[in-house]
Amino acid sequence: MADNIVRVEVTPRRGEGMRDVRGDSIRRQLVTDYSIEFNEVRSIVGFLISSEVPGQEISSRVDDLFADPIIEISKTGESILADQQYFPDKPEHSITIGFKPGVTDNPGKAALDGLHMVFPEAGMNADISTYITYAFFGGPSDVEGTWLANKLHNSLIERAIVSNSGKDHPSIDYSLLEEVQYSPPSIINLEIPDEELIELSDSGLLALNLEEMTTIRDHYRDPEIRMAREKVSINPDSPTDVELECLAQTWSEHCKHKIFAAKIHHVDDETGEDCIIDSLFKTYIMKPTLQMQEEVDWLLSVFHDNSGVISWDDEWSICMKAETHNSPSALDPFGGAMTGIVGVNRDILGTGLGARPIANTDVFCFGPPDWDGDLPENLFPPARVLRGVHAGVRVGGNESGIPTINGAMVFDDRYIGKPLVYCGTLGIMPRLLPDGRESHIKTPNAEDIVYMVGGKVGADGIHGATFSSLELTENSPSSAVQIGDPITQKKMVDMILEARDSGLITCITDNGAGGLSSSIGEMAEYTGGCKIDLAKVPLKQSGLSAWEILVSESQERMTVAVKPEDCAAFESLADLHEVEATPVAIFTNTGIFHVCYGEDTVAYLPIEFLHYGVPQLQLESRWTKPEIKQFIPPQNANHSEMLLQMLARPNIASKETWVRQYDHEVIAQTVIKPFVGVERDGPGDAGLIAPIHGNPHGIVVSCGIQPRYSDIDAGAMAAAAIDEAVRNAVCAGVDVNLMAGLDNFCWPDSIESEKTPDGKFKLAQLVRANRELERVCRAYRLPCVSGKDSMKNDYGSGEKKISIPPTLLFTVFGDQPDVRYTATSDLKHVGERLYILGDSKEELGASELAFMLNENGQSEGIGGEVPRLNHPEKNLTRYQALSEAIRSGLIRTAHDCSEGGLAVAIAEMCIGGRLGALIDIDGIGSGSIYGRLWGESLGRIIIGVSPHQEEQFFDIMEGHELHLLGLVVENNLSIVDGIDDLIDGEIEEMATVWKEALDMTGGVS
Amino acid sequence: MVKVAVLFGFGINCDHETAAMFDLVGATAQRIHTNKLVNGEIDLSEFQILAVPGGFSFGDHLGSGRLLGNRLRFGLRDQLQAFVAAGKPIIGICNGFQVLVKTGLLPGPTAGDTQPDFIQRASLTLNDSGRYEDRWVTLEFDQNSPCIWTKGIERMQCPVRHGEGKFIMPESVDLDTLQENNQLTVRYVDPTSETGSGISDDVLPFPISPNGSMRNIAGICDRTGLVFGLMPHPEAIYARWLHPSHTRGDAPVVESDEESVLGDWEGEGLQIFRNAVEYVRNNL
Repeated sequence: MADNIVRVEVTPRRGEGMRDVRGDSIRRQLVTDYSIEFNEVRSIVGFLISSEVPGQEISSRVDDLFADPIIEISKTGESILADQQYFPDKPEHSITIGFKPGVTDNPGKAALDGLHMVFPEAGMNADISTYITYAFFGGPSDVEGTWLANKLHNSLIERAIVSNSGKDHPSIDYSLLEEVQYSPPSIINLEIPDEELIELSDSGLLALNLEEMTTIRDHYRDPEIRMAREKVSINPDSPTDVELECLAQTWSEHCKHKIFAAKIHHVDDETGEDCIIDSLFKTYIMKPTLQMQEEVDWLLSVFHDNSGVISWDDEWSICMKAETHNSPSALDPFGGAMTGIVGVNRDILGTGLGARPIANTDVFCFGPPDWDGDLPENLFPPARVLRGVHAGVRVGGNESGIPTINGAMVFDDRYIGKPLVYCGTLGIMPRLLPDGRESHIKTPNAEDIVYMVGGKVGADGIHGATFSSLELTENSPSSAVQIGDPITQKKMVDMILEARDSGLITCITDNGAGGLSSSIGEMAEYTGGCKIDLAKVPLKQSGLSAWEILVSESQERMTVAVKPEDCAAFESLADLHEVEATPVAIFTNTGIFHVCYGEDTVAYLPIEFLHYGVPQLQLESRWTKPEIKQFIPPQNANHSEMLLQMLARPNIASKETWVRQYDHEVIAQTVIKPFVGVERDGPGDAGLIAPIHGNPHGIVVSCGIQPRYSDIDAGAMAAAAIDEAVRNAVCAGVDVNLMAGLDNFCWPDSIESEKTPDGKFKLAQLVRANRELERVCRAYRLPCVSGKDSMKNDYGSGEKKISIPPTLLFTVFGDQPDVRYTATSDLKHVGERLYILGDSKEELGASELAFMLNENGQSEGIGGEVPRLNHPEKNLTRYQALSEAIRSGLIRTAHDCSEGGLAVAIAEMCIGGRLGALIDIDGIGSGSIYGRLWGESLGRIIIGVSPHQEEQFFDIMEGHELHLLGLVVENNLSIVDGIDDLIDGEIEEMATVWKEALDMTGGVS
Repeated sequence: MVKVAVLFGFGINCDHETAAMFDLVGATAQRIHTNKLVNGEIDLSEFQILAVPGGFSFGDHLGSGRLLGNRLRFGLRDQLQAFVAAGKPIIGICNGFQVLVKTGLLPGPTAGDTQPDFIQRASLTLNDSGRYEDRWVTLEFDQNSPCIWTKGIERMQCPVRHGEGKFIMPESVDLDTLQENNQLTVRYVDPTSETGSGISDDVLPFPISPNGSMRNIAGICDRTGLVFGLMPHPEAIYARWLHPSHTRGDAPVVESDEESVLGDWEGEGLQIFRNAVEYVRNNL
């Protein structure tokens, strides 16, 4: 590293029309989140440039690179804050925040690229680190600098320098990463007592249980194995640390889904059932999908690739995948969520021979944003988690040029312990490549050269896979966290898609959990072996040991196999796109996962053992119906007032101020946007895109999630999630005969142990959820083509343990033949007639209303009948009919009726259309007034029809449960039950309440 | 055949749809990695139109458009100069607009020679709100603008999707000059105002003006009218099915003499691209 370090500081100019927006955003955020008001916050962006370029030269061209001369002023070599001219008054506090050494500094990387452009002589070892200083003026005297600093930075990845009582404003210094010395692999002796094996697993963050540890030990006792190892000069009778780490990653819950693959002894106290389930995944998810695959011709690739692929038309196939990034998001909400979204983008890029990501979905579960209760140590308040996660997904999605077209935010106290961050991506690929190969089939051969493409490997992201298989504690490692770099990834996506179309790729997968160990390890299965040379892997910092290089989850990397004769073309394409691409391995057919560091063999594992050696878990499951206090609604309720309260509930309120910050329209394809209606602020049910420019052929993407139903029955929770996702898709006119699903389970620890005394019950919840998933998906003829599970969503242990409610996110993607004929939730015109499809029953258990009245102290419990899907096959025909009516252009108004029931759904439709409605809920189902107004019975969709089209509509809907609700009028929403007035509400008032509840922007000035 | 070069690489991300727009109006567009022009593999002079699409080149670090702008300023200077000298149209949309402003191609010299001097005279910076937002705006076009891209277009509804769209020129005399030259081609206007009378020099409130731009400027052209840049995305309303009101039946219908491949489903944005292609057909 060069000794010459030059400091450049830049701050916005002052004057007419000029504004320090960065500083002002911090000022507003302090007001919104903490009610602390400063008169002014100013910002300074700093660069520490380590290069061969002298300070004078940098100073002379500072406006060519670091400062925008029109709007900014700069200082080279000294602190701008000390300059009387620019800062005549000294701030009360100054906080300077920079990254810790080794943490991805994206502005620094970009600045370095720019430095090389302006100063070609900057030197190979040049480096730039960046920081930002906030200067605070005119605030309350009792606010301390250290307090402010804590609110503004995350000490896990950033460092902060705080001014000393308004006098000294010290600068941050360039900080070098400590040099690490490469140490050769060590040998781990497994011939030790059982307790010590467990201790070894725990202290090494291996997350392996005793049986797994002894299985590994026994592998090294095999004389044949020992002989083979001797031949390649690797320690014959014990694993190297490389091997043990590699096995721990590959066998982690995260990678091998051991709970879903377990043999479960399931007992049901309610029914007396006592049975053995041999793998939940195979029994309830895989089997039904494979059976459906035999009946249709459009399921191209399910389960075995990075995402499931279906054919969309003769030319194109589409694929989709959703992932979670919960643990990293708890530690660093911004970085964790960003790597979540760019990570799932890579799953799409790694599908088949490479698909192009064209749409994202984001579903988050958080603690209540206004939480003022206690927080366990090391946890961020929910509002901060929300801000960070949102920013991470925003930056990751927007900078990648992938629209976020659908999503949700769910709130519950228990997500304080672990937020859930689901990120999904839809991809598209030509069915045939120019060279005639089908794009969804990988075509690797032994002798193919394996490239690592994209970023370099660093110490960041070591142990991500094993770490997410453990509960979160105060000592969780910071190395598990990374910050993504969407631009490095975007360059890689551009390059790889070009390489695909040029026929240069035979096999591709992403580097996610487990790093190279997993990516090359998985691909090596195709040819039956590989040989990796870790010494060739480009590193962010020297000295990483072999096992670290092998398992590091550093971001923005794909693993791509190329035929030897295509390597030159592949490398020149990488050069053009300025993308790193290094050959690091070769496919073989030796049956061995063979890892070298230079000449030395550091791991030598049979592929069979690596992938299929993990012993099946044997688990106990026991269902006992939980006892929950009954929800008894109050006798004399003011339903009008209740509606306003409900509209302000975080689970119901508009998320518009958050969602608007996502680009949902890039690629010029988004037909139904997240917000619809006259003022473009009514809720959109599903995302609808027409991705081929000039062609109205569409794809629908929708989500369903209802975690609180798990309080009563996780089976009902799963059924509700699926039904909600399907209904949302139906509202956009999906072809229900051509849709597929993704199941993403997030569960608390379900293995009975000292830490988890109720493990049997939690596992029984999982069994019930899976059984309902199978039943409903079979009835809907809805194949699950891809899924994921995250099984350790708990914080802490013992009394302080917080477990999330068992949560299934269900995503639907499917065909929409013509986007010109679709529907949105907003009421369209006065005189429109409103109908509700489906019956409204007495199903108020775990409803949003029950939770609200319970929290308000107006009711004791939330128990009772939870919404059930008793005859899903009937729902399907109902949905088919409605979808047909929408696709024929007859119906333009449809909205699913879920959280908050009919009252909330109608209110949302009124807001979207800025129109009122006269509604009579008499005769729409068997529920009481509460049940019909607020109950969340499944299978219901509210529909608007123009009077002159009613006849045609009736013809299509004949035989389905269709109830007249009322009609659209000019101003107010009025709901009656026969002769009883229930609700009278003014639309603008409802809109204001609904829109303001979650607006945490602090306005615009 | 009118050939269009659509730049991509380094985080540009609207290249596919921008290329598709020119194809839809009868030109042939080619997505070209910027480096292929810099290294001479492809010669810019083979093309009649250059488009710099939207995106997040270099992550907007060091200011939106700055680093890609430098690549063009230092790596493509001569080719760009020759392109402009040949009277060929250039458009920059969103990040592309930011790039053209930071390279100095927009607004360009306000007096004397119209040839580019690559001096930055204006900037696009962080929205007053401090937020990146995707929202629909109403635009009104200066009917006297020399801009060849916007001929005959009075109003348009389309989305903005940016965090740095606030147009700034520190000296109001400079803005006066641009205004006198009719270079302030397109502005944010109140959708309830009457077409033709919406343009205002006073900054309109959020969200009518989504970013607090001086004089509500959404896009400008150079003095020749050939180089045009704007923050909003006309390509995002190439078809009426992309309009947020299309299920309400009130997505604006385009009245055009031209036959459209989209029939009466053509959206308001496509005409911008057609104008440039027609201009090339008639003048080059």
